[in-house]
Amino acid sequence: MNIVLRELRANMKALIIWCVMQVFLIYVGMLKYAGMAEAGNSVNDLLAGLPEIFKTMFGLSTFDLTHVGGYYGVFFLYFILLGSIHAVMLGAVIISKEERDKTADFLLTKPVSRVRIITSKLVAALINIVAFNLTTLIASIIIVDMYNQGQSITGDIIKLMIALFIIQLIFLSVGVGTAVMTRNTKKATSVSTAVLLITFILSMAIDMYSKIENLKYLTPFKYFEARQLMFGGQFEAVFIVLSALIVIVLVTVTYIFYKKRDMQV
Amino acid sequence: MNVYLQELKMYRKSLITWTIALVVLVVLILSMFPAIAKDAQLLNKLLSAFPEGIQKALGLTTLDLSTVLGFYSFVFIYVLLVGSIQAMNLGTSILSAEVRERTADFLLVKPINRSRIITYKLLAALTNIAITNVVYILAAKLMMDIVKKAPYDTKAFFLVTFTLLFLQLYFIAFGIAVSVFFKKIRTVLPISLAAVFGFYIIYLLNQTLHDAKLSYVTPFAYFEPAYIVSNVQYDVTYVAVAVGFFTVFTIVSYGIYTKKDIPAI
Repeated sequence: MNIVLRELRANMKALIIWCVMQVFLIYVGMLKYAGMAEAGNSVNDLLAGLPEIFKTMFGLSTFDLTHVGGYYGVFFLYFILLGSIHAVMLGAVIISKEERDKTADFLLTKPVSRVRIITSKLVAALINIVAFNLTTLIASIIIVDMYNQGQSITGDIIKLMIALFIIQLIFLSVGVGTAVMTRNTKKATSVSTAVLLITFILSMAIDMYSKIENLKYLTPFKYFEARQLMFGGQFEAVFIVLSALIVIVLVTVTYIFYKKRDMQV
Repeated sequence: MNVYLQELKMYRKSLITWTIALVVLVVLILSMFPAIAKDAQLLNKLLSAFPEGIQKALGLTTLDLSTVLGFYSFVFIYVLLVGSIQAMNLGTSILSAEVRERTADFLLVKPINRSRIITYKLLAALTNIAITNVVYILAAKLMMDIVKKAPYDTKAFFLVTFTLLFLQLYFIAFGIAVSVFFKKIRTVLPISLAAVFGFYIIYLLNQTLHDAKLSYVTPFAYFEPAYIVSNVQYDVTYVAVAVGFFTVFTIVSYGIYTKKDIPAI
């Protein structure tokens, strides 16, 4: 319990900054929506006639920007980008920082097992990403509601935030997984950044070039997309199973490796 | 001079890694071109049916994806993204490393003043960036010539490619300026990732919003490839803004670092 509280306090400042940025992003974005809604009608009619590949190429996807739901859907990409950066860095640092700060011997001589330490740290990290997610959710519901003149899209927002949470979980486990497999914080953050960048660019390449679509299983950024989830869409079972698998494997690896880790003190 | 050489030696490995990453990225992306060019030709036919005013309003006319130059400019943002992280990371770490690695008192008792130290470190960072750019440009040019089907405007290609250098200069200066504000930076990557992706998301957001004021905030909007390709020159206002920011960041860095209280061991 002490470790959980200690970790929560250590990450408090960063978490607050992240949450404020999220609220700010949503607010600025929706502020602009008011102007967009009036201008865009004729453009939408035109876009509807274009072939699918063209739209994905230009990132226009199938969103109707004059509809608040369509406009909000565009934000989902930003949320998963920021959410995954937050989660992967949090995971990588929370495990490896004891050695970086030379506090590993202090912690490990306490009467708590290593399994206990990892569990506490994971719980603290989990609370952090839940707070990030809930802030985004609540800010979205309130701010979108302020500018929404049509039907409420709260249901869609909740669905997107569940998807965001799953992606956060994946990247958190990528972070902790790389932390136990690398020697120090610098290596851990570098490797997890590489994973993040490669998967992100791969997801963009898949958008551009449909023939490599089968690679989508390799990049979490393609698991859940706003245009599939919103407007009555459903989660795809295969991606939920795949996400669960990734998280379970990486967390198990974390426990196994950390228990046997030779600490650099 | 010794500081300069020492820094070059310290960052040699990261320089090699980042340069290889950029080269691999551009080779992979450009090798997708032949496949995409076919699709793009079809789209061009479709697009030409629309009135010019609407094409302009959508911002679609300027990049022709069926030409190698148009495609290159379209995907160049991912090269910029990776290059910016490299530069931001280098800028943020190069001064703060002394405190992090507990070598600050060793360096600062040497008979060399602080502005000298910044100058050498800045020079080392610039040398790193210069080497990255030279290798990248050679690789990109070679790859362009391999995949091209028709001749392209070489001058426009170089103008687009040089924006990597400009953006990296911006992020070096920004990174150093950020680092002097912190007493101690324990892990650099979370800061660089948050900064670069923060600017990138503002840029993405602004592609939907087209807000002139917002475009001055993010360096990614300064050198719009579409503008460069169609005009074969830079937008002077943005160049001035970029130079202005670079100067301000550099002056701030010198001003604060020379008077900063540096924690000793």
